[in-house]
Amino acid sequence: MNLKSLLLAGGALLSGTAASAGGYQVTLAGQKNNGMGGVGVGLSLDQAAMFYNPGALAMVKDRGVQVGANLTLARNAFVAEGGSQQRQLRNSYTTPLNFYAGFGPAEGKFRAGIAVYTPFGSKLQYADGWEGRTSLTDIDLKSVFVQPTISYAITDQLSVGAGLVVLAYGAVNLQRDIPLPDSYGHVELDGKADTKFGFNAGVFFKPSDKLSLGINYRSKIDAVVKDGDVTFSGISATFSSRFQATKFGATLPLIATTSVGLGIMPNEKLTIGFDASLAQWSKYRVLRFDFDQQVNGSTTSESKRYYQDALTFRLGGQYKLTEGLTVRAGGAYDQSPVKEGYVTPETPDNDRLSGTIGASYAFGKFGVDLSAQYVGIKKRTQTQSELLNNGTTDRIAGTYKTNIVIPGIGLNYAF
Amino acid sequence: MNTFLFRKFTPLVALLGLGITACQPDLEDDFKPSKGSVDFSRYIAVGNSLTAGYGDNGLYREGQLTSYPSILAQQFRTVGGGEFAQPLFPEANANGSGYLTITGFNGANPLINPEARVNNAFVPIGQFAPGRAVVATGSPLLIRYTATDNQNLGVPGIRVADVTTTSYGQLTAQSNAGNFNTYFERLLTGTDSRTYLQYVQERVATVKPTFFTNWLGNNDVLGFASSGGTAAPLTAVTEFTTKYNQVIDALTVDGAKGLVATIPSVTNVPLFTTVPTASVIAQINATPIPAALVPLIAAQLKLPAGSPLPAGTRFGLYVRTSNTTTPVREATENDLLLLPASAFINSAAVAPNVFPGGIGIVIPGAPAATATALAASSNAVPNNLVLDASEVAAVTARTTELNAVITASAQRKGLAVFDANTYFSSIARTGIVTNGVSNNTSFVSGNLFSLDGVHPTPRGYALVANEMIKAINAKFGAQVPTVNPNDYRGVRFPQ
Repeated sequence: MNLKSLLLAGGALLSGTAASAGGYQVTLAGQKNNGMGGVGVGLSLDQAAMFYNPGALAMVKDRGVQVGANLTLARNAFVAEGGSQQRQLRNSYTTPLNFYAGFGPAEGKFRAGIAVYTPFGSKLQYADGWEGRTSLTDIDLKSVFVQPTISYAITDQLSVGAGLVVLAYGAVNLQRDIPLPDSYGHVELDGKADTKFGFNAGVFFKPSDKLSLGINYRSKIDAVVKDGDVTFSGISATFSSRFQATKFGATLPLIATTSVGLGIMPNEKLTIGFDASLAQWSKYRVLRFDFDQQVNGSTTSESKRYYQDALTFRLGGQYKLTEGLTVRAGGAYDQSPVKEGYVTPETPDNDRLSGTIGASYAFGKFGVDLSAQYVGIKKRTQTQSELLNNGTTDRIAGTYKTNIVIPGIGLNYAF
Repeated sequence: MNTFLFRKFTPLVALLGLGITACQPDLEDDFKPSKGSVDFSRYIAVGNSLTAGYGDNGLYREGQLTSYPSILAQQFRTVGGGEFAQPLFPEANANGSGYLTITGFNGANPLINPEARVNNAFVPIGQFAPGRAVVATGSPLLIRYTATDNQNLGVPGIRVADVTTTSYGQLTAQSNAGNFNTYFERLLTGTDSRTYLQYVQERVATVKPTFFTNWLGNNDVLGFASSGGTAAPLTAVTEFTTKYNQVIDALTVDGAKGLVATIPSVTNVPLFTTVPTASVIAQINATPIPAALVPLIAAQLKLPAGSPLPAGTRFGLYVRTSNTTTPVREATENDLLLLPASAFINSAAVAPNVFPGGIGIVIPGAPAATATALAASSNAVPNNLVLDASEVAAVTARTTELNAVITASAQRKGLAVFDANTYFSSIARTGIVTNGVSNNTSFVSGNLFSLDGVHPTPRGYALVANEMIKAINAKFGAQVPTVNPNDYRGVRFPQ
């Protein structure tokens, strides 16, 4: 698998993805947004606008620094077709982080900033001996994105912004068992992604105190792994000549996303946001690995993904209860990009419904943000006959159900 | 213990845990096993080598432990099934009858050699005449199963035709050469002249089974087919019908529910499919006649010196289709060459024949006597290594007839049917993927058939068990879980 596909799959499942627009895109980028169902494109809440809509950054009143940390706890159940034994993940967690620093003149029209976020941290460890072991036993994806950003308010009502998105660090570790006639071997693919660039741009329009609109586009980045390490183990001498590869290469498309957002502020205390996003998952067709030597008779392996574009809808709001305390709530609905009969263990995906709550307390220039999300990925069953019809029998028939809980905490300081 | 404090803090602790535990999805209720309308508490299995767990041309402990009845019993335990006693060979004699194993490789070709019966040098019992399983003079009998709780009544080699044969498991000097089956003998507690049917009746009376499987009938066609049509005749339909129904009646006498399985077409197993007749013929036909041979053949044909051979003269593959009249003819793609034929075809010529095994020359327009002389005769593929087209047709027709008897019997008694014939035809055509792992019916490499080319591997037996479970679930409204076939091995390779 290449990094990209891994990221897609794993990301969606484990960490940020859970909360975001189907697949791997993570909406854990801002702790305030996390409490509001992940809305943000049509709002100018805080420095996290650099992620949600760089165009809104110039409209953020404060300049400041903020950090956030989340804990994703994914729990999955699987029952193979015809079976009754429930398989559960060996419990693991990931900790997506975010950091933003925004600068600029107090009354000026410019804002500049830098954002660091980890949208694709993901980790799945399937139960020992589970039925899908020859598809996947373990997946661990890590990534760090860095985004220098500038934003400019053309008028009091209209601002634009853009950021250079740098895939600064990406790592993939993928493991599965190899079926031999009388035993199982094991293979581990481990690699680092090349540094790659993309962009994140947006426009923000606030015609009145009560209404704001935003549009945001995040470009596609191909995460490319070259010369990743291939390590075989547990393969008897009889078969070892068939498993000689030591290096692999792969590419995973981190697809483009277009979002529009709406903000409504009926009064000074209440803010309501609504976002809709289109993730262009249809770019993810196959997951292909190239090996330096033969692996069981071939130097490549291809696995069909055939993802489809997916929409996400988010709704959330916040209410300022007292001068210091703000409470939030929201929810989101993510369409799955994974078609019937194409579900893989790296992304046991389906449509997702999530609910969030959050609160902030401000002590002068300091603030603390708390958030919690519950993501329910709908139960999904695929049958062996669907796999046969699609030519996707490299994965497994059965029923998946995944839930994710993501508590998070953020600290912010305004200049 | 301060219950006040306990009460006070319990909700808090519970709340903390809730975030994590509530997160774990639970599918178990959706896939709860259920027994439907069947009582699985006492199960017995009737059948032949397939039921005993035979594979690699032998019956040995590992195969017994992964027999399909053993797998079924294990799954039945999730819906109220009880213990299931099998006539296992003891650990100290785990090799049982002896069996075939891969001992190494000659290039890419596996070397298949016998693994001896334990503690002595006696070779495996292996292939036996249809219905019988005799042991060589002076060779000890198989280790007897001394307990009286047996529930796996599978006897390798047994035909439906044999179920009413007396002294089938009683060793006398005469019977060892005749009706004797050592695999049946080892199930009996002592000298015992009972028929297999009587044994089944006794087991039913003792065990009082609530559920049974019956997979008899394979040897009624296999014995004929695996000998290239030279050994025991195909069992007649009338005889089969009478005896098969006697067995079913014995099993259902107390109202037990059960499953029967049909006879798979032998033409789908590696013993008959590994040597590809059509491509062997094509390869031989396309081999040019060496220049050195041309004058010799021309001389036989009394052609003038230096003249070319008649147009169309070529090599051909010859098979013998009968023992008695020794007719020899060119093979067609409708003849099935048995697995051992691969070692015979193109083997070194044996004088006086100048051609390699199976190979002769086809000369259009040559006088009959000359053509016969130059065709393979003494070196044609022997009758027992080829199931010729007419024999294939006879086997196929009889299989269909006997399967009709089996399904009619099931209909009469309201039994589930595992149509093994349809199932194995399907996987012979397309292979089968089990939880992401590809399997097919290829010899050695396909994972499903053992080294004898007829009997399944443990994985093949696991597939059989799963298909039976599906048939049981469909017929009786049960939800017995299937197994992961990949947990069971294919062919074992040297480590």
